[in-house]
Amino acid sequence: MNKCAEKEVAFFGRITADITHELKNVLAIIRESSGLMGDIIAISPEAIIKHQEKMQNSLVRIKDQIERGVELTDRLNKFAHSTDETMAKIDLQETIEQLITLAQRFARLKHVVLKTVPPNQEGPPITLVTRHIQLQMALFASLECCFTVMSAGGEINIGIRKTKGKNTVHVVCKGDLPSQSEFVRNISESEKWPVLQEIAACLEGSANLDETEHGIVLRFPEEISR
Amino acid sequence: MKNLKILLVDDEEEFVTTLAERLELRGLQARTALNGEDALHMIEAETPRIVILDVMMPGLGGFEVLRRIKAQHPQIPVILLTGRGSEKEGVKGMELGAFDYLMKPLNIEELIKKMQEAIKSQP
Repeated sequence: MNKCAEKEVAFFGRITADITHELKNVLAIIRESSGLMGDIIAISPEAIIKHQEKMQNSLVRIKDQIERGVELTDRLNKFAHSTDETMAKIDLQETIEQLITLAQRFARLKHVVLKTVPPNQEGPPITLVTRHIQLQMALFASLECCFTVMSAGGEINIGIRKTKGKNTVHVVCKGDLPSQSEFVRNISESEKWPVLQEIAACLEGSANLDETEHGIVLRFPEEISR
Repeated sequence: MKNLKILLVDDEEEFVTTLAERLELRGLQARTALNGEDALHMIEAETPRIVILDVMMPGLGGFEVLRRIKAQHPQIPVILLTGRGSEKEGVKGMELGAFDYLMKPLNIEELIKKMQEAIKSQP
């Protein structure tokens, strides 16, 4: 098994563990909210009236958490299906958006906001024939590189840009950042940078530091060799 | 256990608020903190009898908060909250001085029993 294929398993485990952790929180809130209602009912019929607001709030919490749980399981399901085919024709913008939702909790733990940027040119969806899970790994690794050098309150914007007929993915860091040269040095010395380089190479692409913005430029071929 | 002062620390506001309400219905005094920094400030302002602390929080994580509580207030027992399948976190927490750990989703009766054990264990 090549190194990228080995890393797929670890990546899959990390994302799954992250989403299931959040699902546990959803279940914990539902348990406490329904438990609170049970506590009030157990006190007396009069307690239900006395604590009517608590009862109503609990119902709203339960409803909100169920919706949150459904959204999380949808996310996990889509991610799980990204391994259905080793090679697939994928919509690049859709993959970026999906990855952003998967990485939300990781970003929140770092106090960083993730945003997608629409493509800079209109036209049909940009598609790649590639290994879907490894593409997501590359995008995630680029975020991890940014996390290592960003401070709380920052923002990462990811978008596709078409320049001279080629599509590139730009991962741009914003916020309280060091100088361009220090940013470049910090990223290239981070432990995640060689990981990103390796995954990009597995996809017959490249990852380079942006010369003008605080960011990373990812290039992937329209179709990789099988 | 009546009027026992508890500090609940967890970044999931809905969870910690509801748990506090349930504990108050049982005659306990529960305050809440949504992050480690606030929790440490609240402990300095008014010492709780016991702290219930989530491990995974943004910013100052649960283990660091635990270390600081044990350094500055070693007499306060701390019960950690971890996710299911995260027994390793619980064990690590106990090595750092936590009294014990419980897994989310919680069983409130189990939490109360654990708090009783923690209080009794104090000299």
